[in-house]
Amino acid sequence: MTAQRGAANLPEIAVARLYKEDLVTRHTGRAVRLSIEGLVSEAEGQSLTVLDFRDVNVIDFSCADEIVAKLMLRTMAPATLGREHFFLFRGIGDHHLDPVESALRRRGLVVPAETPGGEPFLIGDVEPQALRVWEVLCRDGRGCAEALAPRLGMDEGDCGRLLRTMHDRRLIRRDGKDYLSLFHTFTQAGGASRASRRADGEETHAGRQ
Amino acid sequence: MSRVIEVPETLDHKGFEQLVAGLNRSAEIGGERLVFNARHVRWTSPYGLIGLLAVGRVARDRTGLAPRIEAPDSRDVRRYWDRMDFWHVAHQVYDLEPVSTRAHGASDALLEITAIQSHHDVHAVVERVRERAAAILENRLHYPKPSVIHFSVMLSEVCQNIIEHAEADGWVCAQTYHYRERLGRDVLMLAVGDVGIGFEGSLAAEHARRHGEGWSAAAALEAALLHGESRFRDPGRGQGLQAIRRQVGKWDGMLGIRSGNAMIALVPEWETIPPLQRGLEGFPGAQILVVMPARPEGEGRR
Repeated sequence: MTAQRGAANLPEIAVARLYKEDLVTRHTGRAVRLSIEGLVSEAEGQSLTVLDFRDVNVIDFSCADEIVAKLMLRTMAPATLGREHFFLFRGIGDHHLDPVESALRRRGLVVPAETPGGEPFLIGDVEPQALRVWEVLCRDGRGCAEALAPRLGMDEGDCGRLLRTMHDRRLIRRDGKDYLSLFHTFTQAGGASRASRRADGEETHAGRQ
Repeated sequence: MSRVIEVPETLDHKGFEQLVAGLNRSAEIGGERLVFNARHVRWTSPYGLIGLLAVGRVARDRTGLAPRIEAPDSRDVRRYWDRMDFWHVAHQVYDLEPVSTRAHGASDALLEITAIQSHHDVHAVVERVRERAAAILENRLHYPKPSVIHFSVMLSEVCQNIIEHAEADGWVCAQTYHYRERLGRDVLMLAVGDVGIGFEGSLAAEHARRHGEGWSAAAALEAALLHGESRFRDPGRGQGLQAIRRQVGKWDGMLGIRSGNAMIALVPEWETIPPLQRGLEGFPGAQILVVMPARPEGEGRR
């Protein structure tokens, strides 16, 4: 896993590649999650952690609940001491989708994800209007309710409410009155070119580099 | 002194019921060593083999003596039991001569009988079936490529059910057959069993009060399979069985879960088993059977 404090207004970025081919059993999921939570807890201020699933062949429902759903559940706790943590799930293929989506929906959660081909999408429980706003924000990188609402044929107040809710659900970042796509943030930080380190539950004390 | 229990000629899910009835009659006497006479067995399914281990374990627990078992006369049946590694696992249950090495060569089973005691065992079985499952599901059952992953997930969840809920050891095995009687097609059978606290015991603390006098093994099975309820209040729990049910349905398969004195089943058109049976012989733990039929010729692999 690599991490780097970004330039001004950029969160601390970390990339965790999940090297386990079979993410099965609740026990394994718990170990992986604790490893990731340990790394995230070291971040001061805002952080964006990218979990890369490209090497994961099988993820079962129990493991998806322990890793994806519980990570998001804990991340959504109100920010304390200015700390806000965000997650992006990359390399999510069709074979991951059913367990991950099922785990998220049971808890009313949603996460931002990317297909192995690099297409952004949301997995989980999201209202259609929010999805529309999120998709436009993904394309633009950043925006505010005032600018987005007329483009979407939406009331500005409703658009603002949707943006605030998506921020509370850790789907987008906030910078003043603007909101930012997590993909845009990751690209700005040059994240894709970074080397990655394993986060498979076997290195529970791994630190940030 | 010993008392003989006859193992039915056909040791499948129906034969298992006869075996349990025999055990319940004999074990009431107590103090005697039980002998399971399997000499007349002519056919065994994976569920039957797992069932034979389960009744052996219960017999040992009830009498305090490891039971004995008479091997089948049929050479074919003996070979099958060898290929499924029955004797290696049976050694932990029955009073047998030590079994040092595996007598058979490479097995054609999808998954030989494997004891499930920890999450390490679940990882091991998922890893072990990967190549064999790909060959069997794609080439023999004509399932699409992703079905190997779906099967691995199902295997993992069904085995975790033992670790998370049974509070006892269990076993798993899988094999393919030509299911002439019902389908005229090949099927894959997956059997999992344990002799733990069962669904009624597992869910009782959380759900029994709400059901009042209606609480039973059947009610517990319905709560778990149909409503995704679990022994935990955590809404993330109870997904495994729901997922298995959905997947087996997509494959037009059969799923049967026996626990206590009841059995609940997801029944496809080709199967005649009742969707819910109450009043069966009482037996500890849970026994799960999944039957996945080959796709009809010409349906193709989508």
